[in-house]
Amino acid sequence: MKSIRLKIIQSAYAFGAKEIEGLNTKILVPKMMTRRRLTRAAKIAIYLSNEVSFTKGRIVYGSSFGELESTANILNSISNKEAISPTYFQNSVYNTAISYLSILQENEEELLTISSGDKTSDSVLKVGSVKALDGDTLLLLVTETLNIAGIEKLNVCEQYLECAVALKVRLTDEAPTIKFTKSVGDSKVPHSVRTMLTIAKQCEVGEVNVIEVQL
Amino acid sequence: MKNRVYITTTSSVSCAGKNNQILFQNILSGVTGIKQDRKYFFNANPALGKLDTEGTFFDVLISECQNILDNSQLENYEETLLVIGSSVGGMQTTEDIYMQRGEYADIDPNMHHIQVISNCLNDTFEFYDDVSFSTACTSSANAIGYAYEVLSKGLYKNVLVVGADSLSQTTVGGFLALGVLSSNPCKPFDENRDGMNVSEAVACLLLETQSRDGSMEVCGVGYSSDAYHMTHPKPKGEGAFCAMQKALNMAKITSNDIDYINAHGTGTEANDSAEAEAIVSLFPHKPFVSSTKSITGHTLGASGALEAIVSYMVIEKQVLPPNHFLQDPSNTEINLRNDASDTGIQYVMSNAFAFGGNNCSLVFGRLK
Repeated sequence: MKSIRLKIIQSAYAFGAKEIEGLNTKILVPKMMTRRRLTRAAKIAIYLSNEVSFTKGRIVYGSSFGELESTANILNSISNKEAISPTYFQNSVYNTAISYLSILQENEEELLTISSGDKTSDSVLKVGSVKALDGDTLLLLVTETLNIAGIEKLNVCEQYLECAVALKVRLTDEAPTIKFTKSVGDSKVPHSVRTMLTIAKQCEVGEVNVIEVQL
Repeated sequence: MKNRVYITTTSSVSCAGKNNQILFQNILSGVTGIKQDRKYFFNANPALGKLDTEGTFFDVLISECQNILDNSQLENYEETLLVIGSSVGGMQTTEDIYMQRGEYADIDPNMHHIQVISNCLNDTFEFYDDVSFSTACTSSANAIGYAYEVLSKGLYKNVLVVGADSLSQTTVGGFLALGVLSSNPCKPFDENRDGMNVSEAVACLLLETQSRDGSMEVCGVGYSSDAYHMTHPKPKGEGAFCAMQKALNMAKITSNDIDYINAHGTGTEANDSAEAEAIVSLFPHKPFVSSTKSITGHTLGASGALEAIVSYMVIEKQVLPPNHFLQDPSNTEINLRNDASDTGIQYVMSNAFAFGGNNCSLVFGRLK
């Protein structure tokens, strides 16, 4: 089994029972017309990207359920025999959040979106590690935004409906300082973010933070 | 020292053919799989590409992956990384339940997300590991790019790429809402084009570091982001240009080496004009350009994989696919022809572009 070591240059995370508060969207996205189109995941991606001082470069993003609110709005429109909103449709693709982030940051680098169910953040780490072998600094990002009307019919286990983690990383040969095992961590957040959240919670400001990712 | 990477075995099913041979024959002879369909919306008559197969979409997925196993030198997938590319995953299943019940109660979240495809295949086959990409219409092109990267870096033994998307009311209705669906087979790059056709497909490719008889080499991949608009590409195709240039750089060839470009060519004004501008800028020697979407439709997340198979067939058969239904080219500076032709083909470029300005170009080469 191959392994790759990543130095975590900066990290940030946020979660909320229904919504993550304090995203500073008005400040980070001053243009109202742009701000109005953003999905919750896009707002969170913009916030966390700012928190880890990431402005340009390759991004590996993950979400198990993607843009659930836009998808639900489309389903409701179809069910009610109403016209589908073009904005809901364009905002329903899984790569919406980082696409808006790239537009705001004028970031023309590679953007990759992963949706691997419960192991999404494990996959983000693996794919991010493979990309990091090229030597550049990457943003690894995972979000879940599950707070839609009627979600209680589907969700019986996650206490935090919004959760997100950002890790700014690059390749290193330094010894690992953070241990993590597959899909462990805070049981109150969606499985898809747990591994990256476990890592982010262990990162110490001012210390060298290194993980070893097993492929 | 990077490993060389080859596509050794392929299998596909689409509205244009139940296998690769039928698909390519229909592409050459102009037999389109696109038909008008009122099933999704009674008040609209879009032309779509539906699969005509027995069993469920998941049955088709399993069957296509079994085809790969049967026709490859693998005994099983135990050392294989599975890389999925899909834009909607289990959306159709979710829709069916929601439209019957009007609530979420009976929807299984694990049957909704993109990972449902991987879960389905893992129930039948045992893979070393899996990962699912969802970048809208570049999903499986990115999957091939990633497969190329991990194999060239020597990180896995072999990779099975599966591009898969099925049609749903969300997809059809969404593109209708954007006003980009045609009621006829699309006419990419034609002055009188009136939109695209969405369709469904499953396309599978096995990538290995050892060539086999009939293999095609994956020579390079280029990624870029437009950073411009969620649904419109940059008008001059700067993002497409960047992805194509990066793919050439990785392949260590020049634009003059490309003999054929399998264009993204959706048949929409925005895509075709931007892509044509980018091709004109990067390829002064005017290689032959065609879009095969008038025959297959736009298979969304599966399109990168399906069009890689078309490229595979182009290199194997040494025949260039025509632009069917093209009458009045909107850009006369690119080399668009509407007849099939035989010629020496060494390198092929395949383009895929997506919502969010996500761009991926792949370079394939004939074995020397």
